[in-house]
Amino acid sequence: MRILIVDDSAVMRRIHKNTLLENGIDESSLIEAKDGEEALKIAIEEDITLFLVDWNMPRLNGLNFVKEIRGYSKYSSTPMIMITSEAAKYNVIEAIQAGVTNYVVKPIQGNILWEKIKKYL
Amino acid sequence: MKVQYINPFLQATTGLFKDYLGMDLVPEKPYINTDPTRLGDVSAIIGLAGETTGAVVLSFTRDSAIAIVSKFAQRKYAALGNEVIDGVGELVNIIAGNAKKDLHDFKIMISLPGVVTGSDYRIHWPEGIPVVCIPFKSNFGDFSVNVSMRDII
Repeated sequence: MRILIVDDSAVMRRIHKNTLLENGIDESSLIEAKDGEEALKIAIEEDITLFLVDWNMPRLNGLNFVKEIRGYSKYSSTPMIMITSEAAKYNVIEAIQAGVTNYVVKPIQGNILWEKIKKYL
Repeated sequence: MKVQYINPFLQATTGLFKDYLGMDLVPEKPYINTDPTRLGDVSAIIGLAGETTGAVVLSFTRDSAIAIVSKFAQRKYAALGNEVIDGVGELVNIIAGNAKKDLHDFKIMISLPGVVTGSDYRIHWPEGIPVVCIPFKSNFGDFSVNVSMRDII
């Protein structure tokens, strides 16, 4: 299992990581990227089983990352959870059209996030 | 700037600090901030663009920034380091992003947050639009949410 956490905020990456570790996910399964561009490079080299992706990031944002990654046949149906502060309805629609599997609005308690994540593991 | 545009920011802030972080939070009476230097030691700024323009600034004292980000990040910080700066940026991002869902008049894009620190800085707000300051008192220290947004009409 390889979970890629993509967020430009080091604090948010650690909060997500703690949620996964507290629920028994091994640290060696977790990979972090600070923007979509870095995530894309990692995803091409690795076989990611679940993506946790923020929306607002420098260089390549989460929405464009999702669109790009869905173009790779190995990731055409890989679960991708967008975890973002973008709470407007039109944002949710745009993300789903881009190919996200699930959409979560920050802030979210770790136990509620875990309920959403565990379905895909 | 219409009063109904302030409520989404008030609610987003309350949702984040009171409901998510479990902090006692008391909003005080909003006022028009006519002094652009009247901000705390640490301010996180986010720009609004799209069908309106504007900015949101979340401003803390040094101590309240450290205490609140410690609570948010589930880690005790003692100084105003990189992670505290990162954390206050994330907090304003959450407030602006959540406020969008109740701003039905506009389709808005939010910028990446920026953070300024120090005792002598000035925010160059969008010209000709009032800046509404909502002060908050909390058991982790005081802070304010400052919003300036152009009306659509």
